[in-house]
Amino acid sequence: MTDHGTGADTPAARARKQAAAQGRAQGLETGWTVFSYLLAGMAAYGGIGWLIGRAVHVPLLFPVGMLVGLGISIGYIIHRFGRQQAMTRPRKGDNR
Amino acid sequence: MTGVLASGGCHIFSGCGFPAPGLQDFNWKPFFTIGSFAFTKPMLLAILAALVVIVFFWAAFRTPKLVPRGMQNLGEIAILAVRDQILRPSLGRRGDSYLPFLVSLFFFIYIMNVMELIPLLQFPVPSRIGFVWPLVFIVYFLYLYLGFKHQGIWGYFRSMIPAGVPWPIYIILVPVELLRFFVFQPFTLGVRLFGNMFAGHLLLTIFTIASWYLLSLSVGLLYAAGSFALAIFVFVLETLVTLLQAFIFTTLTATYIASSVEPAH
Repeated sequence: MTDHGTGADTPAARARKQAAAQGRAQGLETGWTVFSYLLAGMAAYGGIGWLIGRAVHVPLLFPVGMLVGLGISIGYIIHRFGRQQAMTRPRKGDNR
Repeated sequence: MTGVLASGGCHIFSGCGFPAPGLQDFNWKPFFTIGSFAFTKPMLLAILAALVVIVFFWAAFRTPKLVPRGMQNLGEIAILAVRDQILRPSLGRRGDSYLPFLVSLFFFIYIMNVMELIPLLQFPVPSRIGFVWPLVFIVYFLYLYLGFKHQGIWGYFRSMIPAGVPWPIYIILVPVELLRFFVFQPFTLGVRLFGNMFAGHLLLTIFTIASWYLLSLSVGLLYAAGSFALAIFVFVLETLVTLLQAFIFTTLTATYIASSVEPAH
């Protein structure tokens, strides 16, 4: 199988296109992973709160659990993806 | 002036209420039934979509030539588009063995989606969620299998939480990670495709029916023109959405496979 249109592309242009495609794929994955974390945090701790609330007859523990889960998710997202971004971001004065 | 263009039709000012589209537009009378099994239009369209993909690629590569011509040319462009825009950015060159799977997945979903815009067919198969879940399960079991194969069961679960996290945090994160991985990741993958196609079809139906309903020799003609313009706009939008949804589903599949084959960084 041949690569169509590679004759017209310079190596720099191909590298740029490749980087753009990589960024797109990574962005999609990060976006949907973050969304899944937010839902999972609320569902996990909301569920735990609901179970404990049922046992001790305090229904308020369900929304409290959801908020705690949301907080945990946001903290983890910042820890995981914030660090990832900081690692990929060029340092000050680095013009490469 | 309250003249009605088509006296037999249901139009504004004719005393007929707007026949609003709804869930009933997604339920089809079966073509035939065998016991409790009913064969409906979406099933026929799904089979048709699979046949289109199979016949197209079979015709393109039945007798491959070194210098591609005709169908082979088109087939190669299609495969290279998936390879360069979806597979390579996520999996790199080492992932080329997954190309047949991703090409089949992408074009099967795309053809099912695009049926929404083809006259007479005019129904997106993924707007029935029952057609989406099998695709999600195939993808999900594939990346689970690959993860266990490449990292081992314990290693795979361990890789979900980044290294260097203090152990009390592990306990806090385990329920979140397990739910994300086993429930919400596959859930969002399927529901996004379903939701977009469902909403798109509903919008198209609303504006098409409204254009017909508002048609009359009165000020309603203006409303009908506006509704028709919106129907055209949604149609154009849907040509993009059908492609985009197939692209997103396949790209996320490729990134999930990548995270299974290689531990998270």
